[in-house]
Amino acid sequence: MFAALDMSLNPVKSEAAPTWSQRRPWSLVARLAVFYTLATTALLLVTMAVLYGVVVRYSDANDNLFLNDKLRAVRADLAVKKANGGELLAEEVASETADYFVRVLDRRTGKVLAESPEMGKWLSPSVFPAPPPNGHIPEEGTEYKTSTGKWFLLMSAFAEIDRMMPRPVVLQIAQDRSDDKAFADFFRNLLLAVLVGGAGCSAAVAVVVARRALRPLEQMVATMKRVQASYLQPRLNRDRWPKELDSLAAAFDEMLARLKESFERLSAFSADLAHELRTPIQNLRGEAEVALTRTRTADEYREVIELSIEEYQGLANMIDNLLFLARAENAETPLNRLTFKIGPEIDTILDFYDAAAREQNIALSREGDADLYADAMLVRRAVSNLVSNALQHTSAGGQVLLAVKQANGSVEIRAQDTGCGIGAEHLPRIFNRFYRADAARSSNSGGVGLGLAIVKSIMDLHGGSVTADSKPGEGTMITLRFIQAEHVPQNDEHNRDSKPPG
Amino acid sequence: MVSMRLLIIEDEKKTAAHLKKGLSENGFTVDVAHDGSEGSQLASAGAYALIVLDVMLPQQDGWSILGQLRGAGVMTPVLFLTARDRVEDRVKGLEMGADDYLVKPYAFSELLARVRTILRRGSTAQPEVLRIADLEIDTRRHKATRAGRNLHLTRREFVLLSCLARSAGEVVSRTRIVEEVWDINFDTGTNIVEATMRRLRAKVDDPFEMPLIHNVRGIGYVLESR
Repeated sequence: MFAALDMSLNPVKSEAAPTWSQRRPWSLVARLAVFYTLATTALLLVTMAVLYGVVVRYSDANDNLFLNDKLRAVRADLAVKKANGGELLAEEVASETADYFVRVLDRRTGKVLAESPEMGKWLSPSVFPAPPPNGHIPEEGTEYKTSTGKWFLLMSAFAEIDRMMPRPVVLQIAQDRSDDKAFADFFRNLLLAVLVGGAGCSAAVAVVVARRALRPLEQMVATMKRVQASYLQPRLNRDRWPKELDSLAAAFDEMLARLKESFERLSAFSADLAHELRTPIQNLRGEAEVALTRTRTADEYREVIELSIEEYQGLANMIDNLLFLARAENAETPLNRLTFKIGPEIDTILDFYDAAAREQNIALSREGDADLYADAMLVRRAVSNLVSNALQHTSAGGQVLLAVKQANGSVEIRAQDTGCGIGAEHLPRIFNRFYRADAARSSNSGGVGLGLAIVKSIMDLHGGSVTADSKPGEGTMITLRFIQAEHVPQNDEHNRDSKPPG
Repeated sequence: MVSMRLLIIEDEKKTAAHLKKGLSENGFTVDVAHDGSEGSQLASAGAYALIVLDVMLPQQDGWSILGQLRGAGVMTPVLFLTARDRVEDRVKGLEMGADDYLVKPYAFSELLARVRTILRRGSTAQPEVLRIADLEIDTRRHKATRAGRNLHLTRREFVLLSCLARSAGEVVSRTRIVEEVWDINFDTGTNIVEATMRRLRAKVDDPFEMPLIHNVRGIGYVLESR
């Protein structure tokens, strides 16, 4: 209850939000779309580059091979021609098909001996590369672009006419590659267009897909928005969601379940609190009203006032205890831990209860001792509550024993009584606030059922535990267990072993 | 003894009224201020022996009034009253120069005892032997006698009797007894002190004609000869 109050009173911590939102990360849709598009575009780009390369290269290689072939064939033809048969040569050359051009030059004078028709129009002899030495035939030709924008592949080689009476010549051969070039350009543009279009399409698809994939999140938000303090029913139900959102849905549901439990505890607690306040206030009001109905003696008035002071004291104590519990729950209670002997502390408490125990004819005793690292005041408070509780539930002739035991890594304080015991059905709940196993009897025993709740919260603050064992009719044993392991000197095994137990 | 002047700065009218009534009846002259500005004016102007100051006041809270007074060189002792009892609050009050601190709801007897303690501070030390009627308590030798007879008190009973004797004539609240004698400053539920007190009275009062320890119901005990 107080925890909730504190939460609502604290200024909401949204003040830190603006600085954070300045560096707000990209939206998920944008991120997914960008990465997806980049990946697709890269893939397209690589594929097309390879495709383009292969096609263009293939056609280039083909043409080179063709020219090389032709050059070889023409040279072989020339070798068997008569050296003086110029006319014949020209005829021969001119008769070659139009898909390539041939020119024969005199090697010494550079004079054109013969050439294919129209060859001179585009290709003068000087644009050809020099023939390779030793009569080799080049593997690759040279590309040449005319001023009119036509593309040619050029090759030249040394040759001779008439093997019997050799006349050295230079053979020039060319192929018109304008169509190939045009095709390569077209092909490149086509690929670029496909690339741009593909990237655009993939971006669009990515956005749609990402939006779709994230739609469950929006549905989750819609469900979450329906949750209110008064309406904690909505659940995300993990099976309804894609696998990735499974754990989110499950965590949300668990959080709601915990919240629901807390709220229920809280409202049960508020109801209990209101109920517990009613009784003393009724007493106060009743006493005062009855006192005022007629004139009374001073002693009678005095008695009313004295009774009311006792009620006030009870109310004040209840408030103190509730505040203690609330702060312990919020871990607001600072622990002043130090190492001390627990025995003397227990003895002081027993001394405090000694006279009361004697009057009830109950034997109070302690056995065992140990060094304890804890908040001494809180430990005394816990022990005091245990003793007080035990005395309330033990009848004359009984005994209450506090036993201290040191086990490995922990110190135990047991409060054992020979009292009426607690029924098994009550045991799990005796540490709850305002819980009393026997409401009728405890109302005149003074407590309001916070004592054991305080014991538990003290043990929680120390990271320890409290357990209760009871047999109705035989007695109850409540055990406080303080974990001590982490405070034992770590580098001194021997010392630890030789430490006397208790 | 000349009656001492106290100033109560408390906005809650009912609280101020009962404080004034209670303190006046116990021999103090009491002025009341209902808000911070009036309070700090009165405090700086008048010569008070002590100021009872509420922390939660409209306009100007108790802390700032205290700061203002101390800043102006007014060193009148201050007893804080507050409904807030977080450790930080206590520390803040004491650090700012408050002399003591009481958390609401407090017992009036407790307030009275604290006021007297503050006013007594710096005066002569307690005598070694306390005498109330024919009861003699030798605090140094831990021995209590009545009409010359040794009372044979246990150690704890002696501490308890000394606690009452030091404030002889004043009601000592149960809370204070439990705190001083057993160092227990938490709620112990039922009235456990009563049994101890009965045992003490059996030794101190029962064998004698005139009882000295009196129960003030609902509040505590007082040691005095009536």
